[in-house]
Amino acid sequence: MDGASFRIIGLVMVMLISSACKNASDDQRVGAPFKADIQLNWVPEPEFGGYYAARDSGLFDQEHLEVELKPGGPGIPTLQLIESGQVTFGITTADNILIARDRGADLVALFALYQNLPEGIMVHAERGLGALEDVFKGGTLAMEPGTPTFKVLEKRFGFHHLHVVPYTNNLAPFLHDPLLAQQCYLTAEPIAARRAGASPQVFPISDTGYNPYSGVLVTKRDVLIKHKEEVRRLIRALKAGWTAYLKDPTPANQTMHQLNPTMDEATFEASSIVQTPFIIGMPATPIGQMNLERWQTLSGQLVELGLIQPSDPQSAFLPSE
Amino acid sequence: MKHRQGAGLKLRRIHRQFDGRPVLKHLDLDIAPGEFLAIIGPSGCGKSTLLRLIADLDQPDQGTLDRSEEDVDLAFVFQDPCLLPWRSVIENVALPLELQGVPHHHRMPAAEALLKTVGLEEAQGKFPQQLSGGMKMRVSLARALITRPDLLLLDEPFAALDDITRHHLDDHLQSLWLNHPMTVVFVTHSLSEAVYLADRVILLSAGGGDITLDYKVPLAHPRTPATRVSTPFIDHLRIVSEAFELHARAAE
Amino acid sequence: MKALYQIVWLPPLMSFVLITGLIECSITLMDLPAYLAPRPSAVALALWVHAEELLKATWHTGVAALLGLGMSALLGALLAITLASHPLIRRAFYPYAVFFQTVPIIAIAPMLVIWFGYGQGAVVAASFIVSVFPIIANTLNGLLSTDPALLDLFRIAKASSLHTLFKLRIPGAIPHFLTGLRVASGLAVIGAIVGEFVADSYEDGGGIGTAVEIALKEQRTDLVFAAVLMSSLLGLLIFWLVSGLNQITLRRWHLGEFKDS
Repeated sequence: MDGASFRIIGLVMVMLISSACKNASDDQRVGAPFKADIQLNWVPEPEFGGYYAARDSGLFDQEHLEVELKPGGPGIPTLQLIESGQVTFGITTADNILIARDRGADLVALFALYQNLPEGIMVHAERGLGALEDVFKGGTLAMEPGTPTFKVLEKRFGFHHLHVVPYTNNLAPFLHDPLLAQQCYLTAEPIAARRAGASPQVFPISDTGYNPYSGVLVTKRDVLIKHKEEVRRLIRALKAGWTAYLKDPTPANQTMHQLNPTMDEATFEASSIVQTPFIIGMPATPIGQMNLERWQTLSGQLVELGLIQPSDPQSAFLPSE
Repeated sequence: MKHRQGAGLKLRRIHRQFDGRPVLKHLDLDIAPGEFLAIIGPSGCGKSTLLRLIADLDQPDQGTLDRSEEDVDLAFVFQDPCLLPWRSVIENVALPLELQGVPHHHRMPAAEALLKTVGLEEAQGKFPQQLSGGMKMRVSLARALITRPDLLLLDEPFAALDDITRHHLDDHLQSLWLNHPMTVVFVTHSLSEAVYLADRVILLSAGGGDITLDYKVPLAHPRTPATRVSTPFIDHLRIVSEAFELHARAAE
Repeated sequence: MKALYQIVWLPPLMSFVLITGLIECSITLMDLPAYLAPRPSAVALALWVHAEELLKATWHTGVAALLGLGMSALLGALLAITLASHPLIRRAFYPYAVFFQTVPIIAIAPMLVIWFGYGQGAVVAASFIVSVFPIIANTLNGLLSTDPALLDLFRIAKASSLHTLFKLRIPGAIPHFLTGLRVASGLAVIGAIVGEFVADSYEDGGGIGTAVEIALKEQRTDLVFAAVLMSSLLGLLIFWLVSGLNQITLRRWHLGEFKDS
């Protein structure tokens, strides 16, 4: 068969598929699909698995949405991009949302992927440290300054006995220095460190009681008011996407590996296994769901750290239906 | 202290070409010790090339250049005064002695004395940028003479100056030559300057091969401003000018 | 009496007032929220409120930048002299000097941490790497553009090559070196700040790079701009210092140009 025939057959198939999709949704929705872009806060990795799963298995299409996933990187100003209208949705942490609201941005959290904060402090197991507080008795700690986590640790343990230095998403200093501790995503750095031959030990930040939602989908209140129905459909598609990803992460991992080839497939797999309990929560919570009490706790903690003025976080998130 | 009359030079069959284009063609020239020789000629006749060959800044492709003595101390004065802007006037004058390793307490008095002879004793602490063109050239002359050279080469040194300054500097140069016995080879494009200063004027042809005029100026030294308006001077100048005109026309 | 426009600081002050005024008005008119574009008045307030920390951070960065610039001046000049010494050396090594100009500092900065450890060493090294090339390039250019007539003069005087280097070529290259140093002064500050992003030590509060990073994380755009302003002022200060050095050194070159009276 020649190329032209292939093309014709391909065209026919595309027409069939698209008409099938239309039939599924035509009863409620007419016209062009709702266009939205989602600014991810990092390069494609399992933290966004459900998003790619939803996209690739046509869940967005089924909800009559045309979603573009925009990979991010270090220093991407997600919240500013949302507020200035350059992107519709973005992913960030709950504490950043409350701080931005305090600075005057009317943002609303829609969907929280991680029920528990997957951040921690990684040390070399050889040091034989027993608890998070032992990290602060000496050595070096590599950490981004200015984050709420940084402030929580500084307030709780003090930085008087150790040397605190920047963390720039580079594992080399950790691998190089047996007395260096560093911030980490439990789903990322410990896996990489182990593969590089180190034996890392991790203390979760949530041990301190500071446990904001993270991997939170956020948008401007204007968007929510104008497109309430579309937002509801988006959340539905995401729940379905994440359910599919938790069942079988491999297809989405393969897609993401192609977009982010520096992370190999084994790491994708390991990372998606590690993150699952953080998504499910303890006790198990429906995917993406948030409750007021957790937001209130967080708000109080940020006030205590001097990062925000007291305010009611009731309007900071969209309660589940 | 050397007591010399200056260095003599014997050039035989000197040939020099650049990129296949001959500038000097098998030139023969004798320069007597102590002589003041002026070289004139149309532009591109190889005057400067000849001077650089004599100064050992360039080597001939063929021919020989013999000096009357083994170790000739020579000095060169360029069209540009070539002073070092970061050095004071006196430090500029003393530079050649400094490079020879003469100690400070010997070279500074020597430089000061020379500055006096060119009338710049007041300016010794100044910097080149503070001097006029004529003053800079006098500093340059003083610097050239500080090593008491046997051979002084000058490449159109006063070309950039106005006539009055130029006449002053001609007189300075003449008195320096009279007080420091040495051979002078002076390239100029001013015929009257050549006739005024030199014992002997040679005219190079445009192709650089021939000396089309070799003229002795039989006027006694020192020559004075009055010389410039005397009948004998004007007669000599006319002869040289006619030869130059004839040659320049022939070249065209 | 001096005309108003002749007062040195007046024109920049006027343009400053005009530009900040315009920014303030447009932000107000467009009703832009502070976290997207802080008003100059908010930045000024942040400068005032956080003056102490900002000055400490500026001092911290300034010391590192001056050390980096000093190293650039010293090593850059020595490298330029080495490169100028022989065409073969130049051909063999100059491409690697260009490396300093093109090296993406942010990419190799983490390695600086490994080599020099956290703290001032790595910050100074980053400042050095970013600022050394203009000094090498300008000084080399100066060393190679010695007036040929002056070189002839030294040849006729039978000067040794060392004499020619130290009494002619090096002094002649000083204006070029100083031009390079002026270009390098701003780069030294940028290099130090980039170095602080990866290698600063927070014990004494850190430098401007750390201040910017903290302000960014706390979503304090006014404070970000205040810190950026301090880095500009620091760059300007170092530039003035170098220009002053330039004027003192080159006084002889320009000293009371001759005037016919």
